[in-house]
Amino acid sequence: MEQLLSGYFIYMLSILLLFVALATILHMQFGITGIVSFGIAGIWGFGMYSCAIIMIKLNTPFVLAVIMATVLTGIISLGIGRILLNLDDQSVLVGTLAFSVIIEDMIVSESWLTKGVMGYGPVKFPFDFGIYTKLAYFLIILLFTIAVMYYAGRLHRSPYGRLLLSIQDNEPLARSLGKPTFRQKLIFFTFTSALVGFFGAISVPVYNFVFPKYIGPDITFTLWIALLLGARKRVFGGLVGIVATVGLFDIILETVVPIPSQYAGMLYNSKYFLYGLVLVLVLMFRPSGILGDKNRSINIKNISKFEKKEG
Amino acid sequence: MQDKKLHLKNIIKRFGGRKVVDIKDLTLGTHGIEGLIGPNGAGKTTLINLISHKLKMDTGQILYYAKGNEIDISKKSFDQIARLGMVRTNQIIQDFQSLTIRDSLLLSLATAKYERFYAIFSEKRLRKSAEEEIQKYLDYFHFENPDGHALSAGEKKLLDIIRCLMLKPKFLLMDEPTSGLPQDQTDMVIALMRRKTVEEGMSILIVEHNLDLIWGACENVYFMAEGEILIQGPPDEVRKNKTVVKKYMGEGDA
Repeated sequence: MEQLLSGYFIYMLSILLLFVALATILHMQFGITGIVSFGIAGIWGFGMYSCAIIMIKLNTPFVLAVIMATVLTGIISLGIGRILLNLDDQSVLVGTLAFSVIIEDMIVSESWLTKGVMGYGPVKFPFDFGIYTKLAYFLIILLFTIAVMYYAGRLHRSPYGRLLLSIQDNEPLARSLGKPTFRQKLIFFTFTSALVGFFGAISVPVYNFVFPKYIGPDITFTLWIALLLGARKRVFGGLVGIVATVGLFDIILETVVPIPSQYAGMLYNSKYFLYGLVLVLVLMFRPSGILGDKNRSINIKNISKFEKKEG
Repeated sequence: MQDKKLHLKNIIKRFGGRKVVDIKDLTLGTHGIEGLIGPNGAGKTTLINLISHKLKMDTGQILYYAKGNEIDISKKSFDQIARLGMVRTNQIIQDFQSLTIRDSLLLSLATAKYERFYAIFSEKRLRKSAEEEIQKYLDYFHFENPDGHALSAGEKKLLDIIRCLMLKPKFLLMDEPTSGLPQDQTDMVIALMRRKTVEEGMSILIVEHNLDLIWGACENVYFMAEGEILIQGPPDEVRKNKTVVKKYMGEGDA
């Protein structure tokens, strides 16, 4: 039991939760607003490294470093969004992906600051509860992940979410109704990217040492595959997708199923192949993801239920 | 009846060397409902697109008068113009595929104070404040299921018009508003428009090929051909005008 609480298992669960949060944010960016953000891993890495660097170089307390990293990520995202969000989907895809790769490359090459592939750290947990430290930190991550999912859920039932959906559906029509769509996209992209940066920052103690490989494009692809697999238009799409990919392959297969050591490497290498296979199958037989499409036709019964909950 | 609302000066728009719109001086919005007619390719829709700034004009100036201010809307963006009270309906059917009819109307009614990323609890307030207004329109026009999606072309067209009316425009540009609508619905739309012009002082410019509608509903008609406004006046005069008959309606139709 003690080993379970302080060991690899709880570490993997923490990572899993962080990924769920990221996939949920991706759901808000892509599933609701239609921003094809392929730079999510870069943004998350930016938050991660800026938190670690601020903490170690400037010797600041953890909470302050997290706040500073979140704000910095927000500022950077505002810049990216200002340049990219007015362009069409393909350009947004390429632009954000390029940003992500630039961040990763810079972290590798600017080793005077980031220690490159050696990894940067160590960053300890901000508190020490003995063997319960990891568990306590896991609960904090759980809290924030639930908060993000709650926000996404509320967004679906708020005027702002409706506006974002209208931007995804038909931006010129939304503009003709007087909606400042570019400004709203920019605000929302900045806000959600700052959130991504925040989760990057709070992930640092979990990793202890941060490496460039944690923020490569394969992370972006994993998140995208997971979201498409789960259902891009549903709040729980990210959760289901991440559990079905990272959860299934990285946790269940690696920790529970006893695999002979000579095949262990093979499993890691074939992971993306299997992800891809599952994605193809899902897209063939259930194009809108495992959870299906969200139909916004709220019928009378649902409205009264919703009203009761509110009041 | 009212002050002029829109003043167009020396507007020129070219598409690859061809002059599509060329207007020296034109004042719109002096009457309640005005009509814009002309043969295909006369530049009517382009003119509407220039006014609502969906397209950029090559040269010229459009002055818009609202609340005693003179605003040069050629420098304003597409959505700013809509917020100033100049709204357009669409010629080609436009819809939000993931919004139901009611959602679509709520979207139109929601002002900026509801649409902030932190305002995630404002749905109930919005619904409460919008309920009466939405019900008024849903009672007037018949929709199969207001909590479902607009299915037929007619429903989408009506929805487009209602969405625009919800913004309480001062100047409404309607590009073929009734194409695809059955006659009884067309009559209802026009009756509603007429009421809006009288009660709320709204000005409307209708672009239409349905001439019966133009002669019946409009107080003033502009005839446009080859990018220029050739004739303007009360419908009876325009109808009898030789140029209009020759260029547009055909001799036998007068």
